Amino acid sequence: MTQSPAPAATASAPAPPGAEVTVSVEDVHVSYRVYDDPETGLKQIVAGGRRRRFRTIRALRGVSFDVYRGESLGVIGPNGSGKSTLLAAMTGLLPLESGRIRGRSRPALLGVSAALRPSLSGRRNIVIGGLALGMTREEVRGCLDEIADFAGLGDFLDLPMRTYSSGMRARLLFAIATVRIPEVLLIDEALAVGDQQFRNRSRRRIDEIRASAGSVVLVTHDLKEVTDGCDRAIWLDAGLIQAQGDPAEVAGAYESSVGTT
Amino acid sequence: MTDGDDGPPLFDLTDPPSVSDYLRDVWRRREFAVVVPAQDLRALNMDTALGQFWHLVNPALMIGVYFLIFGVILDARAGVDNYLGFLVIGVVVFHLTQRIVQDAAVSLSRNEGLIRSIQFPRILLPLSTVNGQTLGFLPALGVAAVTLLATGEVPGWRWLAMVAVLAGQYVFNLGAALIVARLGAVVRDVNQLLPHVFRLLFYISGVLFSVETFVTDETWRRLFALNPIYDIITCARWCLLGGSVSAAVVVGFVVWSLVLSVCGFVVFSRAERSFGR
Repeated sequence: MTQSPAPAATASAPAPPGAEVTVSVEDVHVSYRVYDDPETGLKQIVAGGRRRRFRTIRALRGVSFDVYRGESLGVIGPNGSGKSTLLAAMTGLLPLESGRIRGRSRPALLGVSAALRPSLSGRRNIVIGGLALGMTREEVRGCLDEIADFAGLGDFLDLPMRTYSSGMRARLLFAIATVRIPEVLLIDEALAVGDQQFRNRSRRRIDEIRASAGSVVLVTHDLKEVTDGCDRAIWLDAGLIQAQGDPAEVAGAYESSVGTT
Repeated sequence: MTDGDDGPPLFDLTDPPSVSDYLRDVWRRREFAVVVPAQDLRALNMDTALGQFWHLVNPALMIGVYFLIFGVILDARAGVDNYLGFLVIGVVVFHLTQRIVQDAAVSLSRNEGLIRSIQFPRILLPLSTVNGQTLGFLPALGVAAVTLLATGEVPGWRWLAMVAVLAGQYVFNLGAALIVARLGAVVRDVNQLLPHVFRLLFYISGVLFSVETFVTDETWRRLFALNPIYDIITCARWCLLGGSVSAAVVVGFVVWSLVLSVCGFVVFSRAERSFGR
């Protein structure tokens, strides 16, 4: 690395000595161009003001941090602070305005829901989801039972997915998404759904991933999840890192800024 | 801060992959572009009374309507021995390309969620469109074959050449799909425009009438040969109905397919990383 990035809003980052960096985020800026659609009542049309234009949203405004091997990093912050954009950028899917993101392997977002078809059965969806994640049909077949077991589908395996309860659906999505474990796993609020049993099971699965020398980056609104399950935390607000470091301290600082509810 | 000594070096995650790496990734994931569209095809008619039979009934009904209007009522049969066979080939071949291109225009916007959540070569999406529509076209091809046999055509060695025509059309369709997919991702309006483009193409591609009979001027005939869809239909008719085909038509077909597929790949992959923003 040429130099240590030090944007203004970043608090000191405790780098575990000798720890191996799996992903390095350096001064990343991302903006979106969205279509501005103002109210168009009779008054506006008469006034000739019905002009639609694009507005630029600056989702990330200079974010730098490293992810280390074997750690689980929690990202907290209010809605619209850029947390999800950050995860998308870390996969390399988003064009950056400036800055760079490097890694030893490509991080993968936990999530296949967009690939699945509600009108098809769970069994067919497991195949579709596996293929979307880059597996071959043969590989998917090999772990079909395991996925169905984890999701607890039972007799529902051959019924259309739209007939599943939301808990069953969440379990299936999580089971498919974690069937192939990437070196760096990015999770966007996946654990907020499902019952306690599912949360315990998915927590164990995440611990397995970390134990196999991977890293986990977790975006969540559940501060308890960060203080209990993460080794480090980042507080993101308005596209900038407000604080990073010990989960309890960061969560505490975030909480006091929001005000206790 | 150190990068650590062991393990592979850090690489820039936003760097686009090389063409060979890209193609290797596409090949590794090829099953996605076959299995998923095949499943979608199944899901399409799952709740209907006739179910999967619709894939057969639909093309048969479409051909019936065209024959009623243009064969019986308006009588465009001039210069064609087997008009029903002539019409079947034209309609089936034309609609394959039309459906692929129109579907390709929305292949990226329809899968925005997928693009935003999973890293994979985006070319798999228009490729899935081409594969899905081509699979869905096979029953129509069966209907066409039955119609030809029923109207007294005798299969000969030329019918085998139809395989080459279909392969060529596949390449052409893929190229067109890639270009339209990129266009559709940048300007959504393309989706609104395409039906009109194809309506025009439908009438200037000789789907319903024999261009050889109605167009006598040599210069005009050469212009027709510039229309790739006319070229494909004419080659398909040569295979299945016999008759003659001009060299200009064959050359037009081959050149269009090659140029469009290469251009399509270049045009599409250049914008690879901008999709789904």
